[in-house]
Amino acid sequence: MSDWEPKIVAFLCNWCSYGAADLAGVGRMEYPPHIRVIRIPCTGRMSPNFFLAALREGADGVWVSG
Amino acid sequence: MGIEPGRLQFSWISSAESTKFVTVAAQVTEAVRALGPNTRFIKPLAEVA
Amino acid sequence: MTSTTEILRETAARLLASGAVEMVIGFRQGTIPMMNEPCFVRKPAEAGLLVWDSHCGINLANYVTDRKEKKIGIVAKGCDSRNLVTHILENKIRREQLVVIGVPCRGMADKRKIAMKCPGEILRVHETETAITAEGEGFTRTFEKADVLQHNCSLCTHRNPVIHDELAGEPVEEQQGVDRYADVRAVEAMSPEQRWKYFEDLLAPCIRCYACRNACPLCYCPTCFVDESRPQWVGKGQDPVDVRTFHFLRAYHCAGRCTDCGACERACPVGINMRLFTKKLEKDCLELFGWEAGLSLEVRPALDHYRPNDPNDFIR
Repeated sequence: MSDWEPKIVAFLCNWCSYGAADLAGVGRMEYPPHIRVIRIPCTGRMSPNFFLAALREGADGVWVSG
Repeated sequence: MGIEPGRLQFSWISSAESTKFVTVAAQVTEAVRALGPNTRFIKPLAEVA
Repeated sequence: MTSTTEILRETAARLLASGAVEMVIGFRQGTIPMMNEPCFVRKPAEAGLLVWDSHCGINLANYVTDRKEKKIGIVAKGCDSRNLVTHILENKIRREQLVVIGVPCRGMADKRKIAMKCPGEILRVHETETAITAEGEGFTRTFEKADVLQHNCSLCTHRNPVIHDELAGEPVEEQQGVDRYADVRAVEAMSPEQRWKYFEDLLAPCIRCYACRNACPLCYCPTCFVDESRPQWVGKGQDPVDVRTFHFLRAYHCAGRCTDCGACERACPVGINMRLFTKKLEKDCLELFGWEAGLSLEVRPALDHYRPNDPNDFIR
């Protein structure tokens, strides 16, 4: 498993972290490529369902950011 | 439940904090990398197919 | 105990005759011993069906959600009344619709504990204030009631109904100094690997019959997440991953609402103690928010309002 790289699902709030991610992109900043972003309308939309669903689909980590 | 602490991370980043986003993204990646591949809550491949 | 039955029958008959309620939800004798069943009494003449003993464990709060009757009488022990409070807070029923006939409770007997100590099928059961006697073909066994209580009842600290309009009997003394979370702490002390293994063993016999969900007064969703197919959150089979997903998420849906009435564990045909999950969340709610479900109609639940001092150390 030496070439293993983590898969991380990031649930980002539309108004906060998604904006930050967007700004990071506009600013051409570099961040790890392991993150798959899912935009949610608000962190209040987050549910334990999503966390388990992500793990079940093979994610190695879940990051919730508001 | 037996899910390793660190598989699930929370943070609070405003839409103006792109630098914080980049740092936290790196931290999260490192934390998960340290834990290794997730084996919990995954069905054996044969059954999924 | 007999006297409680008499008070209940008298109260139910009086409420029905005067038109104060349209029906009374209570218990009647089950068709087999130690299995009293819920009963909806609509006529004063039927009030004689009602009984009360140590086998009224089912949580009757389960039967009032979204009922259309204008007035419902309901027999409620401590935990039932707390679940009624939860229902009222969650707008599943209005307080004005309910006439709560509170019953101070001394704990319900665990039929499995009794059955395991008897050599054959139990045909008759009778009880006194402190003892339960089970009889069957060629044997008679008497148990101290305290020894055969359901686990959650032996740890109960809210035996008296928190809301009631009528009270069947004198309030009982609440248990003091009970260590409610010894089993949860034991699990918390395990490493993630041990814990994974522990729950694997705990849930191994689960047959996904959903009896725990159906018995639970909190599980009133029109479509449960396990029955949804778009998206399908969880597989329908008995794969250990699906079984675990079901129990894990069900427990989360009960966070901050569960009163540890034990309905889930009692209903389980294979005797899984899934209360461990809900109790962990109950313990967290108590320790993090100082919240116990269903104690007051005035206070909003911990998970549906914000306070500036809510713990948030886990957020980066």
